[in-house]
Amino acid sequence: MKRLIAFFGILCMVVGFAACSTPQTTDIKGTTPNVGNPGDPNAYYFNYKGTDIRLNGDMEVVLNALGEPKNYTEETSCAFEGLDKTYTYDSFVIQTYPKGEKDYVYAFWFLDDLVKTPEGVKIGDTQAAVEAAYGAEGYNGRNAYILKKDTYSMTIIQNDGAVSSIQYTITIG
Amino acid sequence: MKKKSIFTLCACLAVCLALLWLLQALLMPKYMGSVKEGALIGEYYDNAGNNDVVFIGDCEVYENFSPITMWEEYGITSIIRGSPQQLIWQSYYLMEETFQYETPKVMVFNVLSMKYDTPQSTGDQTQREAYNRMTLDGMRWSGSKWNSIQASMTEEEKQWQGQWSYLFPLLRYHDRWSQLTGEDFQYLFKKDQVSDNGYLMQTGVKPFEDEHIQPPLVDYTFGENSYYYLDKMVELCKQHGTQLVLIKAPSLYPVWWDEWDQQMVEYAEKHGLLYVNLLEKQEEIGIDWSQDTYDAGLHLNVYGAEKLASYFGKILVEECGVADHRGDAEISTVWAEKVKTYYQRKEALQAQS
Repeated sequence: MKRLIAFFGILCMVVGFAACSTPQTTDIKGTTPNVGNPGDPNAYYFNYKGTDIRLNGDMEVVLNALGEPKNYTEETSCAFEGLDKTYTYDSFVIQTYPKGEKDYVYAFWFLDDLVKTPEGVKIGDTQAAVEAAYGAEGYNGRNAYILKKDTYSMTIIQNDGAVSSIQYTITIG
Repeated sequence: MKKKSIFTLCACLAVCLALLWLLQALLMPKYMGSVKEGALIGEYYDNAGNNDVVFIGDCEVYENFSPITMWEEYGITSIIRGSPQQLIWQSYYLMEETFQYETPKVMVFNVLSMKYDTPQSTGDQTQREAYNRMTLDGMRWSGSKWNSIQASMTEEEKQWQGQWSYLFPLLRYHDRWSQLTGEDFQYLFKKDQVSDNGYLMQTGVKPFEDEHIQPPLVDYTFGENSYYYLDKMVELCKQHGTQLVLIKAPSLYPVWWDEWDQQMVEYAEKHGLLYVNLLEKQEEIGIDWSQDTYDAGLHLNVYGAEKLASYFGKILVEECGVADHRGDAEISTVWAEKVKTYYQRKEALQAQS
């Protein structure tokens, strides 16, 4: 009988505490997006007036170099902690995610043809110019080139044969 | 001797099960403090039955509509089955489960979740799993819950057979023991109602100031899976003789693209449904974005939610024929208590903010 009782006691412990095939959880209430690898030098970037703006880059460095944006908004998410921030400059927009005490670049996209990718592509360029820079591999056959590198993606959208949007983002999931 | 052994065995088993149940109850999050959203789904069961209108969807329903206002102004009995980032398959299975408890005259579904075609498409999977918990853990056991779990699990959860942790949440929360607070003991057996018939009240004010800009999309077409569940909702409501009404709440972000709206307009026309894009009715509703939001346009506060309920209640009466129950003594008694609780909560929250 003692063996039986011991068996049930062990069963309780096994089920209750040793179910470690499940993910290690922090308190569910404090969950924040698990997105980035801050400071990753291989992430996509573009250069504006001598400053590299890079996915996963420190936003404080960008702000120090470029100054205050012309528009700034904050987005909360349902139920969770943390604040995503959007900085709109004349020719591009930068979105950040919080990690610790800092904000890091999560996405950026261009608004006009005054900025271009490191490969020289800008809004208004032709499909031929995009393919000359990036090849045809990422073309979706309809309206966009989608290039991926590690956990990053770059999307070039076309409208009526010309580039209408250039976007970079961290791919999470 | 043999009888005694069997008795002892059964007693041991019962004690073990009771201990495991107690442990599970202790370790599961209570959602009574800072993240009340996780408690909403579980609160439905105490208020189920005799609701003429049931709202189903994400935060755009549980933050934006006040059922109490609809009762006071139109005598409409309504309840919200909302949870944060509730996905369309979760909404469908909640709808299916709702019909086990009541058959409302109208089901109102907020269509923002059409934009998510799969659990993966919502982005960060750690956060997705946490959102899943807030919808699924609160549901009572049923086939609908099981099917919702199967449809909702992230790829990571599938890899470690996560469905068992929904069946036995202790498997999920076993390592919360080091994070237990007084709240976990205080609400071990009985929780407070955090909502008013599913409406989560906020009294703060944070004005909307600047447009929340988003980049254009490569493809605006809603996914096949989203349409699959929307079709199932149409069919389910038809089977029960319930009118399905599609809405887009007037939240200013996330962006509701014109291309998305057009797809909903066409879908509603094709299926003979009423679709109301409340973003287009902001002026008629009377929303003042400098006063009626607590988070700069993502959700309404109670002042905005009361205005929206006042506007939408009229649509429910005039276009859906929802009845006024204020003349029914029994129903009025029940709702008088809800009204009292609502104003007590409002007063307390106003005092805090």
